[in-house]
Amino acid sequence: MPRGVAWKIGLIVFLILGSLWYLYPSIQLWQMSSAERDEMAKNDPKGWIDLQRKAIKLGLDLKGGMHVVLEVDRSKLNPDEATDAVDRAKEILRNRVDAFGVTEPVIQKQGPDRIVVELPGITDVERAQELIGRTAQLEFKLTETPEKAQLLVDRIDKSLEAIGGSDTSSSPTDTSTATDKPKDDVLKDLFSKDSTKPKSDSTGALASQDTGEVLPPQIPKERPLSSLLDPGRRGGTWSVRKDEVPLVKNLLARPEVQKLIPPDVEFAWSTKSSFTGGVEEEQLYVLKKQTEMSGKYLTDAKPSFDQFRKPIVSFQLTREGGRQFARLTGANIGKPLAIVLDGRVESDPEIQSRINDRGQITMGTGSSYEQANDLAIVLRAGALPAPVKIIENNVIGPSLGSDSITKGFLASLLGGLAVVLIIGIYYQLSGVIADFAVMLNVLFLMAVLAVLHATLTMPGIAGIVLTVGISVDSNVLIFERIREELRAGKSVKNAIDAGYSRAMVTIIDSHVTTLITALALFMFGTGPVKGFAVTLFWGVAISLFTAVVGTRVVFDIRREYKTLSI
Amino acid sequence: MPIRIIGDTHVDFIGKRKIAFLVSGILVAMGLVAMVMLSMGKGNLGIQFIGGTMLEGYFEQPVDVGALRSALSSSGFADAEIQQLQGRAQANSFLVRVKADPALSKQAGQTVLEAIRKAFPGNSFHMDSIHEVGPAVGKTLQSQARWAVLVSLLGILVYITVRFDFRFGVAATIATFHDILAVLGILYIFNVEITILVITALLTLAGYSLTDTVIVYDRIRENLKKFHKKADFIPAINTSINEMLSRTILTSSTVLAVVIALYLFGGPVLRDFSMCLILGVVIGTYSSWLVASPIYVEWESRSPKRFKS
Repeated sequence: MPRGVAWKIGLIVFLILGSLWYLYPSIQLWQMSSAERDEMAKNDPKGWIDLQRKAIKLGLDLKGGMHVVLEVDRSKLNPDEATDAVDRAKEILRNRVDAFGVTEPVIQKQGPDRIVVELPGITDVERAQELIGRTAQLEFKLTETPEKAQLLVDRIDKSLEAIGGSDTSSSPTDTSTATDKPKDDVLKDLFSKDSTKPKSDSTGALASQDTGEVLPPQIPKERPLSSLLDPGRRGGTWSVRKDEVPLVKNLLARPEVQKLIPPDVEFAWSTKSSFTGGVEEEQLYVLKKQTEMSGKYLTDAKPSFDQFRKPIVSFQLTREGGRQFARLTGANIGKPLAIVLDGRVESDPEIQSRINDRGQITMGTGSSYEQANDLAIVLRAGALPAPVKIIENNVIGPSLGSDSITKGFLASLLGGLAVVLIIGIYYQLSGVIADFAVMLNVLFLMAVLAVLHATLTMPGIAGIVLTVGISVDSNVLIFERIREELRAGKSVKNAIDAGYSRAMVTIIDSHVTTLITALALFMFGTGPVKGFAVTLFWGVAISLFTAVVGTRVVFDIRREYKTLSI
Repeated sequence: MPIRIIGDTHVDFIGKRKIAFLVSGILVAMGLVAMVMLSMGKGNLGIQFIGGTMLEGYFEQPVDVGALRSALSSSGFADAEIQQLQGRAQANSFLVRVKADPALSKQAGQTVLEAIRKAFPGNSFHMDSIHEVGPAVGKTLQSQARWAVLVSLLGILVYITVRFDFRFGVAATIATFHDILAVLGILYIFNVEITILVITALLTLAGYSLTDTVIVYDRIRENLKKFHKKADFIPAINTSINEMLSRTILTSSTVLAVVIALYLFGGPVLRDFSMCLILGVVIGTYSSWLVASPIYVEWESRSPKRFKS
């Protein structure tokens, strides 16, 4: 075997195996029927989230959903307030969208004063606009005492144990009617100001685990609720693994559980998840329902350090707010005070002394300045609601999305087939080798998309097929050159060597120019266009590799031949 | 025996440059007119650029366009553009376009949808897509599109100047701009809606046509090293184009096969996009033979740098 061939073959085999490894979750996901998906989401939420994370994501144009661009109106704010207005608005939106339970939402800053929100699977314009357009609610609430909170959880456990044992068999028709109704109710609850009831997944996949049924199989029969809860940072709070949060939310939403929760008490989740020992967790709190003070009395909040170099947030209240706060803090020294944004707990610092109109929150041990800054942003969000308006709104219905996938797939298949036939017939055996390179190209490109967690859009699909058409160019250039050299009377060996080395200059020049346009597109691009630019960029880059290394291997072996089928 | 589309050819491409310049001149003029008109807001600009609301969907049973129009105008959308969409998976597909109206724009899509559903209670209307764009977005997008074109042209100019020389760089950039303008002009005449996807296609075809040009230039550079007399200059250029002819035809046909497949089977979302690329492949191939190389020839013959006599 000619030298250098072995490691090239090794590299190619390695890359093929690697690509298949990265593409396996996508293939697995795309082969599942929607019934199988619902089944998995219900019975193995952790595996389901994991699978979705690893698979290539489909863009909103393919799976349906909403793409909203918001503009923060900073004209009415003074320069000092305006600086982080977009961050404040983004924080509020992130919190609400998380609470909404959309899978894989995207919330990004775009330019100086715009925010992009993508809500896959949501097509109800009205509800989403309510979600986005509402002004933020920042409140201070007291927490339930640890003893009472624990007692409540114990009582819920008992009542759930009772249900878990009984075998209520409901007929399929019952289930379907039952799933429709609670889902609607849950959606309404999401938007009502009172956020007592736990939020549930609005896509319905998780909300369908409804009331009246026996407990889902993955929930233990003994102590069903508390077996999912780990002790939290302080008594009366709990940590819940992120992938088990939907299960807990479903348990808490059951009517028999709701009946047990006293009217002046509510369960609330943390706004952010945290990592403990590599496990993503959300905090569950039991709050007193009454709002002790509204966030509108806050005038400012800033992160800084105290004399021990610990990050702190210092805040300021209006005179009226100061009077209220002094009463509240004076009466509750030693107790935690929950800072609640749109029904979710941002932080629960302990009240150490009576505070008038100026106070500071010392962040917990191990907290960073960034975390102090985040809290300050939330506090300022309550103080200075930055008005946002929707400036662009794209809604793709689910049927158009699936129609696009089918058509895109068909067009890609036919286009790819035409290319394979043209090249295969024209260059005979060499053409077949080039065809294999093209297929490798597509395989590698898809794997890169999976590794990059890129989103596949309709223009992205066009980019992949276009890459197929363009990527054969490298091999066409090489083959034409080899033919020329053969016609000039060179031996097979010399023709192949000359063909590759001379064509290489041209191939590099032509690829670089295409990469330049792909980069320009990426700069210009939003959403689908970016998807196209990414596939074009990687498609062209990979085709350089498959032409230079991929087909070269075979030609290294063919160098020893007397005649060449080309 | 290998299959060859064409044998050894000796077409005098450069000799036909006068005719080519005339054809290209007309194409570019059309493109410039289109560009001026579009930047003045005249012509079929997509709502992403000018703002407005666009709703697509289908009825379960046939609906008369007139009935739909009167239903919408009684709900306050008198200027709604209504278009029945042909060739969709669903028979009674419609597109409704409403102009950007600051007073209504916030919920126009939803309002239109409700108005339609209310007017035809017995006939379900299924929403395929809603696109609502405020007037501010269009301005940003227009300037972004201009920047993208400018950056790519500048990038090309710099790269080719470095790899070849300045004259090749300028000629290639002019040829690329020629292609963009020519396709834009043709799209304008056929009243194709200029959407973001169409702009994407224009930039892509710029990349494609440039590849073609660079490949011919590479061969010209190689061949010019072999020729040293001034009389050999034009023949050397012709030889280079002819030598690359079968490659150009083959690659163009594979790319064409793909974009035609996208046009025919890719569904409505990609139709204008692939249409634009089909034009681009044809014009891009033409321009690398009859625009990019002849410009270089003209420049070099008027003020010789390489062959000083």
